[in-house]
Amino acid sequence: MRIGTLAILGVAAITAAVIGMMSILIVSAHRGALIAQLTRSADQLSETIASSTYYDMLENRRDAVHREIGTIGRQRGIEKVRLFNGTGVIMFSSEEAEIGHALDKNAEACYACHAAGRPLERLPIPARSRIYRTTAGHRVLGMIRPIHNEPGCWSAACHAHDRGEVVLGVLDVNLSLAEADGVIARDQRRMTLLAVLAIAASSALLWWLSRRLILRPVAALIAGTRKVAQGDLSTAVPATAQDELGDLARAFNDMTRQLSEAQRQLAQADKLASVGRLAAGVAHEINNPLTGVLTYASFLLKRAQDQPETQADLEVIVRETKRCREIVRGLLDFARQTPPQRQPSDLNEIIRRAAAIVMNQLTLAHVNLSFQLDADLEPVPLDANQVQQVVVNLLLNAADAIAEGGASSPGGSIRVETSACAVPPRGHAVIRAATCPKGCDLLDKNVRIAGLPAIRVIRRDRERDVLVHLDPIYGRGHHRASEPCNEGVIAGYFCPTCRARLEVAGRRCDTCDGPLFGVQAGAQGRVEWCARKGCPGTRWDFMDALGPQPFAQLVVEDDGRGIPEADLGRLFEPFFSTKGPRGSGLGLAVTWGIVEGHDGLITVESEPGKGTRFTVRLPYRVPEAPAQDPGASAAVRPRMPAAQGVATPSPVGRARRGPDRRPECRSRRPSPRRMPPPRANEVPHEPRDRRAGRG
Amino acid sequence: MNPGIDVLVVDDEPVVCDAIRLVLGHEGLSVAAVPDAEAALEHPALGDCRLVICDLMLPGRSGLEVLRAMRERRPGLPIVMITGFATPANADLVLAAGATAFLPKPFDESELLTLVRHVLAPMDVAREERSP
Repeated sequence: MRIGTLAILGVAAITAAVIGMMSILIVSAHRGALIAQLTRSADQLSETIASSTYYDMLENRRDAVHREIGTIGRQRGIEKVRLFNGTGVIMFSSEEAEIGHALDKNAEACYACHAAGRPLERLPIPARSRIYRTTAGHRVLGMIRPIHNEPGCWSAACHAHDRGEVVLGVLDVNLSLAEADGVIARDQRRMTLLAVLAIAASSALLWWLSRRLILRPVAALIAGTRKVAQGDLSTAVPATAQDELGDLARAFNDMTRQLSEAQRQLAQADKLASVGRLAAGVAHEINNPLTGVLTYASFLLKRAQDQPETQADLEVIVRETKRCREIVRGLLDFARQTPPQRQPSDLNEIIRRAAAIVMNQLTLAHVNLSFQLDADLEPVPLDANQVQQVVVNLLLNAADAIAEGGASSPGGSIRVETSACAVPPRGHAVIRAATCPKGCDLLDKNVRIAGLPAIRVIRRDRERDVLVHLDPIYGRGHHRASEPCNEGVIAGYFCPTCRARLEVAGRRCDTCDGPLFGVQAGAQGRVEWCARKGCPGTRWDFMDALGPQPFAQLVVEDDGRGIPEADLGRLFEPFFSTKGPRGSGLGLAVTWGIVEGHDGLITVESEPGKGTRFTVRLPYRVPEAPAQDPGASAAVRPRMPAAQGVATPSPVGRARRGPDRRPECRSRRPSPRRMPPPRANEVPHEPRDRRAGRG
Repeated sequence: MNPGIDVLVVDDEPVVCDAIRLVLGHEGLSVAAVPDAEAALEHPALGDCRLVICDLMLPGRSGLEVLRAMRERRPGLPIVMITGFATPANADLVLAAGATAFLPKPFDESELLTLVRHVLAPMDVAREERSP
């Protein structure tokens, strides 16, 4: 049975019982009042009759008494008026046929006084009244009044009564209750009608309410659940109601959202695993034939010293085969990204090596490569091979963007710049650990903001819990909430796991003086945020005390076609490519993973049609390795950006607005150079004119 | 039966065997090639060859088993492991199992020659001393 039907039945039963009881009480009170009133009227009437016939009786004017009783008895509402003598004989009556009849003392009219042989006395009104039903079917109220002996009675001229008699007779006034009964019956009918109406109205209201507040939301939830069961995780049910079902709908939507994110991550992981297997297989299969080609070609190359033409051709074979080797190696690198082996390295030198590797491709694309390298750059602790891969990827990416820039202006330019910079913690420092006061882990690897696991907390505003993901980058404030919150409202913040309060006692927000809440960032102290929605106030005393941190900054800027803003957010996702079939979608994902592995930062700014600027910052001070996966095998530690919201989408205009957040970078003695100095041990590349000549 | 075999190559890929034979043959080394672990461990040249070049991934028993069996039989024999699936983990694995060197595929002539000369150098010195 449906909830609505049950509720309607229950309410109808209760309404019927309550109204029934009420009508019984009201009607019986009403009836009692009516009868009492009628009894008083009957008493007054009998008093009036007794008084008005008094002198006629004394003077023994029987006709006058007959007339008076007859006249009164015929009035409306009066059934009959009669007078008995002491022996029960009817002496006077408005019904003349009765006169002369004697009544049994046990009859109704006499019972009150003669019951149990009691002597006739002065009786109270209720004892003198009685209600009986006539043969005609209606009820009658009878009121008797004993007529007591008085000196006037025994001393009157007629000498009708002795002095010893106590009661001379009884006046019996009978009032019809037909009218009163009619009123009561009408009231009863009205009450019943009212009860039926009340039940019908409350049932209708309940039906409407249950349909609107329960049935429809529940039906939507059921439909949503079925859709989710069928695998459609984009389902969202309407969640506008402010009641419990609204909360349920919101929780449902949250659940599907998290599920779909988890599913996406899973699919991503699956994709990664298959590409890993593919890479391993491809590497093994392709490396064998490549060994043949490379060995034979290099063997021949060495023995063709005297034939410059053949030698040049063989050089092409060797070079391109080695390129294949690099591609396969890159694929393998992607399949198992390893933690960086950091050594103090010359970043400029790495850039030159990377440039040498891709020089051929840049030349082919008519790219003008210029450098602005800070010659005083201190050695940076980094994995030279990995960072070289980053630079190669960024350069190839830029070259591709230029090649696709449009046929009208072939070629373009890439500018590579290095500098040392001091990066303030605000807007840059990453919160890499977060726990509640009871030690629950608050980092949510399934929800990432700019590719980094976000900090999951519960926000409670007027008894409503909202899941909030805090931006893991200190001071940036790209938080996400599962539903919008009211601006300016101070809410409570709790751990989603153990519900511990996150409030920080005794400290106030610097900006708005509101209360603060915080999480423990491992050994790096506590990070605090203002509990007032919309207030940017946040503190991380540990980082603030450290102050700006030295970073080496690498900028790769091109004047290619640029990246649409919509794509910026997904740029570092694996398998996301704007290059169509030419791109593997892995280059920037690997780049992101390497920079992240170095605890560095990578940002992209782009303007479609004008160019793109990638900024990589690598820290000079390396944070101590977290103890979470100490023995993790190098082969099974994919460091991948999440599928969603990976890049820091800071288009040129937006990014340049916050000068206080931009790191101060110095570019002392810039050394612009057209080409890096060629190095003996690098991939040989042909002079440009020769290649051009061959087409 | 195979007098004067210097190098035993174990690889199921003929082109790799041929390439090694070409390069090392040109250096004056005689090369025998076998496609799997069984053939390698039963090869008569195993008793007196100067160098083994063995692929890590062989059909049937792996190159690692070949390496261990050979190392047991001839502890001083230079064994170079080659593989198309070169990971640091694989490198650590074969070096820990007793390989003399680890060479990722694909390699070019000079990489192969440099390595082979390097691992054979002490023996060459010894041979030259014996028969000037």
